[in-house]
Amino acid sequence: MRVIKLSKENLFPFLEVISEKTGLWAPVRKPNSGHVFKEIDDFAQIDLDYTRTILPPKKIFLPPSFNMFKASKNNYEEDFSHVSPKILFGIHPCDIHGLLIMDRFYSYVFDDPYYSKARDNTLILGHSCWPDENCLCKSTNTHIVEEGYDLFFTDLKDSYLVWIGSSKGDDLIRVKAELFDENIAEKDIQNFIQWREERDEAFQTEINFSAMPDLMELKYNDTLWEKLGDACLACGSCTNVCPTCNCYNVHDKPALGEDSSQIVRCWDACTLENYSEVAGGENFRKKRSDRLKLWYTHKLQAYISKYGKPSCVGCGRCIATCPVDINVKTVAHTLDGDKVDSFWNRFHEEVRK
Amino acid sequence: MNQEKLKIGIYELTGCAGDALLILDCEKELIDIFNAVDIQSFLMAKSDNIEGELDVALVEGSVTTEKEIEELKDIRKRAKLVVALGLCATVGGIQARFGDREEWEENYKKVYGDIDMTHTRPVQSKPIDEYIEVDYYLPGCPIEKEQFLNFFTRFLKGNPPEKSQNPVCVTCKYNENDCLLKKGVLCLGPVTSDGCGSICINHNLPCIGCWGPLDVANRTAEFYLLQEKGYDVEEIKKKMANFSGTKIAEFFKKVGKEKR
Repeated sequence: MRVIKLSKENLFPFLEVISEKTGLWAPVRKPNSGHVFKEIDDFAQIDLDYTRTILPPKKIFLPPSFNMFKASKNNYEEDFSHVSPKILFGIHPCDIHGLLIMDRFYSYVFDDPYYSKARDNTLILGHSCWPDENCLCKSTNTHIVEEGYDLFFTDLKDSYLVWIGSSKGDDLIRVKAELFDENIAEKDIQNFIQWREERDEAFQTEINFSAMPDLMELKYNDTLWEKLGDACLACGSCTNVCPTCNCYNVHDKPALGEDSSQIVRCWDACTLENYSEVAGGENFRKKRSDRLKLWYTHKLQAYISKYGKPSCVGCGRCIATCPVDINVKTVAHTLDGDKVDSFWNRFHEEVRK
Repeated sequence: MNQEKLKIGIYELTGCAGDALLILDCEKELIDIFNAVDIQSFLMAKSDNIEGELDVALVEGSVTTEKEIEELKDIRKRAKLVVALGLCATVGGIQARFGDREEWEENYKKVYGDIDMTHTRPVQSKPIDEYIEVDYYLPGCPIEKEQFLNFFTRFLKGNPPEKSQNPVCVTCKYNENDCLLKKGVLCLGPVTSDGCGSICINHNLPCIGCWGPLDVANRTAEFYLLQEKGYDVEEIKKKMANFSGTKIAEFFKKVGKEKR
């Protein structure tokens, strides 16, 4: 790993050079809405002043719905059209950790070519960020990155300190090395230390994740789950926006007028009713409370027990998305014995009690 | 060859004819559709219609007259399978939003007075499954091209059609929209059947529920959430009822009475 410096006015010239032949994806503000990762055709669209995008970058590696292959009686054609070379710029540490967790699901034991080909073809150019009230990444220890990026840009107001995290990242720098400054002054180091301290102090939410596996076990039959299930709209949004949720469904889409079918893969969500439905119509998790319990067992217990850290990366998307306030923050705080202000709590107390 | 093709009839009861029109609007696929099956009856598309035995009848619209009840029963007798096409056939449509009979009669009198209808007698608007058994439902207002073609093609190839049990929110998130409910907007996404491609929310307009009520939706939580967002009880009921037809009448009887 090596650190170099880039003055702010050299950022766009650098991006311009490296994106000449490769698609550049970066955060963009949607009209009347939040931010999204989008392929950039005009650098003025890039908006680095964002906290979180609506969907995490998993959408770039496995789109919400895509054709896996076309099958006919005597032929089989794989479709890797979503796997074009890309540069993903402006991704925050939590999302880099999200991708590292996706790697575990999709490439450690069984290789999923639709994921890993896209992953191999995408350069990760991370960017530092500033927490809002919903950022939990300090509690999940995903506010810093030690791996999982090719370049990482830390914004120190006038300039960037740029971490080079891979040989591919080093190659990128060499394309236009004259834009960078190899000499990092003592003042830059001081600025970085100060930035880091201030950023760490800016977190407003803390969750004791290490206590969660025990609490989940002890409160497996707690009335909390019924309260959550009562208010849950079963919209699947918490799952779709989660950077580490990875379930999918596969559908046949037969073509009209010819003897072939497209095999379409789309995101699925364990919080939706038909997720646990099997042939014959039996459904093992018909109750919303059971489905939420599964989701939270996965995030707060099973993954921690197996890998020593939660499969929550603290991005705060479930908090920003759930209209009835069922999210990692309210659930973890409730498990920890706190009373939280949430629609699901009020709904229980005012309507159901 | 003709004998081997599935015999299809496409019928319109009371509605805007938008679903039948959508089938004709599948311009790129139209020749394939007409080649794949033997369309016996399709009033919007042709005049030499034959009313005989059918493999599949696609029925659009709700039932609003005694004559339509007879027509529908006749279709059922002649067809091996009946598919409800669109919102009106599936739930009764906007014209069925007055849940109880007295309310309907009152409104009917207000509009028509005591006129004696000679052609056929009107009845309260109902979905087709109030009168006959329905094998498959294709919701939508109108139905959607991809949904129809997928249903049609799966069916042709002997695969059972897949029924979506998802709310609009699933596609809405695929399309990366901010949650409008979270912003305090009266959006019916979570209680509405998916399939429209979340087209309204993509344009920053709330879901009005035009694909009809989702069977598995948590309507009670949605109702109280909207109340908490500051919406008036009658307004919420009105919006929820607009495209719900007769299917969630029980919900309207119960809602609001949970509170102690």
